[in-house]
Amino acid sequence: MDFFARQDQARKKTKLLVFYFVVAVILIIALNYAVGLVILTGAQSSQRQRDRYEPAPPLALWDPQIFLGASVITLAIVFIGSAFKISQLNGGGSVVAESMGGRPVSSNTTNQDERKLLNVVEEMSIASGVPMPKVYVLDNEEGINAFAAGHTTGDAAVGVTRSCITKLSRDELQGVIGHEFSHILNGDMRLNIQLMGVLFGILCLATVGRILLYMRSGSSRDKNPLPLIGIALLIIGSVGVFFGRLIQAAISRQREFLADASSVQFTRNPAGLSGALQKIGGYGSKMDSPNAPDAGHMFFGNAISNSFLDAWPRIRRSKTASVPLTQLGTGSSNA
Amino acid sequence: MIALLIFLAVIVVLILIVGGFVAGIYNKLVTMRNRYKNAYAQIDVQLKRRYDLIPNLVETAKGYMAHERGTLEAVTAARNIAYAASKAAAANPGDSSAVKGLATAEAGLGGALSRLMMVSEQYPDLKANQNMMQLTEELTSTENKISFARQAYNDSVMTYNTDREVFPSNLIAGMFNFGAAELFVVDKPEEKVAPKVSFS
Repeated sequence: MDFFARQDQARKKTKLLVFYFVVAVILIIALNYAVGLVILTGAQSSQRQRDRYEPAPPLALWDPQIFLGASVITLAIVFIGSAFKISQLNGGGSVVAESMGGRPVSSNTTNQDERKLLNVVEEMSIASGVPMPKVYVLDNEEGINAFAAGHTTGDAAVGVTRSCITKLSRDELQGVIGHEFSHILNGDMRLNIQLMGVLFGILCLATVGRILLYMRSGSSRDKNPLPLIGIALLIIGSVGVFFGRLIQAAISRQREFLADASSVQFTRNPAGLSGALQKIGGYGSKMDSPNAPDAGHMFFGNAISNSFLDAWPRIRRSKTASVPLTQLGTGSSNA
Repeated sequence: MIALLIFLAVIVVLILIVGGFVAGIYNKLVTMRNRYKNAYAQIDVQLKRRYDLIPNLVETAKGYMAHERGTLEAVTAARNIAYAASKAAAANPGDSSAVKGLATAEAGLGGALSRLMMVSEQYPDLKANQNMMQLTEELTSTENKISFARQAYNDSVMTYNTDREVFPSNLIAGMFNFGAAELFVVDKPEEKVAPKVSFS
């Protein structure tokens, strides 16, 4: 499979996963509706029973009022939560880069390493057709890592750690930068921020649930539906967040494959990217900055040690770069 | 009467839908065509950069390579020929002999440069010179940029040609005269020898 085909495959899988995400949100609304239906009709009918001693009416499956109420409230909570989180994360490339301790590289630098870095970035800019982003260096980080941030190609920033410049060859550095350019070109940051926003909104549902749990109405004789709704929201919200995170990690994985395949398209040199991945395997890519976990998904290598939601299955990525592992001289024969 | 109106309304809606579809494809073809034309212009930008760098390179090397005057002069001469050829090709873009002349001159320049770089390997003082190191990095980068610009051009030509040839876009491309774009192909054997610029 050549890199164009791999790009197509990654794009198709992303669309499928985003569809699953949307389905998950719809399911949450449906579940909330069901919960609302059961609990509220139950409360109403028990109230009626107590007042008039009537037998309980059969449960009507479709109650437009409750449906409207459930969907509006769910969507409102999720939407407000997402909007809040998205506006928080919306800083623009330079803001993110500086929050991680990045130092901007000036375009008329005389430092040879920085000059080389700027040239490599400019070359990738030409190959990918993306305007030149702002370039940052993370001086205080030990590992080999790089990131791209920014919403549009206009406010993009690319950052590398010091070790990238000192430990990677020019070709390997170019492979890494090409990978980051793919993230800028394919709008991966924007997608990620939107996903994080909606996940936060779903998390808000669980929080609202927890708040409702502690609401007791005055008289203990009335069957108070609020804590029950609270428990249901808490469970639905937490399960929703769990599956949402799984889907988000899967989407990140596909975007990483897409970025690797795009890097090979830009450089036409798979060995560069493979070499960089090899070296990261040796030197490590952990980031010390306290803001790194927030931006964990934007990094080239594993910035935080969270292997279950590993978005960078490294050996598989070496395969994507189409260089046989034996050629790279790794010990492992199994991918 | 009402049946006729409904019939007419349906026809109008159909026309609008098909029209919108055609407009969408037309716009996409226009966008892709402009992209590949822009990519072509970018190649020239990088070629000009190379012309500007070379005199600097020769000046720096002159001080250290007193005995290699021949090589240095060859580079300067090749650079001037290529620069003139590029001016001629820019003045007459439709003239295929001007474009061919540019390709030959570029090949000659590439060869002269690579000879200069090979010779400079034998002068460790020159290699260690700060200026020289900067210049060779800039030269490497420029050669890379020329290649990447050509590559980006070819990629955009491929995208445009594909968009132009798939069904149903091919019908609209035919209607509005969207011609095929040509890939940048190296058809001179001398050009295929890449200038070996190795700095260990």
